[in-house]
Amino acid sequence: MIKEIAQNLVNLKKEFAKIYDGTSQIQEAIPILKSKKFPIDDLDSLHNFTKNNPIYYNSYEKTISDIPCVVYEGDINKYWLNSIRHGSSRAPFSPTWILSAYLCCLHVKSLGYKQVIDIGSGDGRIAYCAKILGLDSYSIEIDDMLVDLQNSISESVGVNFNPNCSDAITFDYLTINLSNPAFFIGGLAQMGGITLATGILENTQSNPVKKNTGLVLAGTVSQKYATDPLNHAGWGTLIDKFSLDVIDTVILPAVWTFKETDDVHYIFTKFQK
Amino acid sequence: MSSFDDISEMFRSELDKLTHLLNSTNIDSNLSPTEIVEIYYQIMNMSSMNVMLKQQLNSDDQKSLLDEIIETEKLISEKFNHTIHPQILEKLTQSIQDITANLQSSSSGQKSKEEIENEAKQYEELRQKMSTKEFVEQYGKGL
Repeated sequence: MIKEIAQNLVNLKKEFAKIYDGTSQIQEAIPILKSKKFPIDDLDSLHNFTKNNPIYYNSYEKTISDIPCVVYEGDINKYWLNSIRHGSSRAPFSPTWILSAYLCCLHVKSLGYKQVIDIGSGDGRIAYCAKILGLDSYSIEIDDMLVDLQNSISESVGVNFNPNCSDAITFDYLTINLSNPAFFIGGLAQMGGITLATGILENTQSNPVKKNTGLVLAGTVSQKYATDPLNHAGWGTLIDKFSLDVIDTVILPAVWTFKETDDVHYIFTKFQK
Repeated sequence: MSSFDDISEMFRSELDKLTHLLNSTNIDSNLSPTEIVEIYYQIMNMSSMNVMLKQQLNSDDQKSLLDEIIETEKLISEKFNHTIHPQILEKLTQSIQDITANLQSSSSGQKSKEEIENEAKQYEELRQKMSTKEFVEQYGKGL
């Protein structure tokens, strides 16, 4: 079911990219109503997050492939500039589509995970989606400007998805109450994701909940990026090194794939028992 | 394999392009990333050709070309590597600092759609200059 909705979203994005005539730096479309192609109960909450997110400065209604949607136009340049100033961010902020975030969290929930820890969480959309799906969520982001953004959204929408301004690699995960956590690693393998994931995996080696832990990795097969000899959209070597089992792969759009033919491969993995 | 005359002709043609580029470029102006990349491409092209040709030239009747190659190496080393290259790097660094400061100073407050999208063009220019600077720095590391 999730893969079917994911494919519908990829198709929607492709059609949207064809007809979009605006000039904004980033854009995404969210269906207005629950439908056969998008049987989602929480669409209002997704619109609520986007409407209260200052990275978006314009929105309008547009029917795309016979699906009434709201198009949101935004700009994330100042966050990019801030991440350069700090020099500490491992990958510049470039969000996934909120509906992609929601579908990933829905999948994690269906796999039985109880908590979501969003690493390199940007504007906190994955943690937010986890929270509205009834999961415990923690949002960890090293960039203070982005954490301020998350706090402002969290306050506006009235949903606390626990924004934390911390370095995820040194963060003490024993201080939060984890039983069946799924870690989302922000950043493509080829864009700092490997470093981040390696740090997290090494950090959690001695955590007693390791055997119940899942990792969601964002990868790409775009020819613009280096391939991994063991594939898995750039993550094969890391998956092999840490003996992870691949549960599933779901392909979904992100802001940066808007004009690309290849969307993001979300690889759902877990530790071998 | 090319004849000696073909090789000489190719060398002189590329040298003409380089000389024209160096003479026609006003280093004091803000060169565009495209202009910068064009200059460095021709410098690297010429340098590779010099290395390759020097290995192939060995007889006395090829001495005049060998002398021209040595002169070209001198031009690249003295005029470009020690004078123009540092100037380009300095200009790029200054320009990046200026654009960054300008964008940072205007980053607060409510803005219209037009203002945001115009500012996005400056960010694009900044990204282009930063990646050009990286390319120029890479060249410098090879010296």
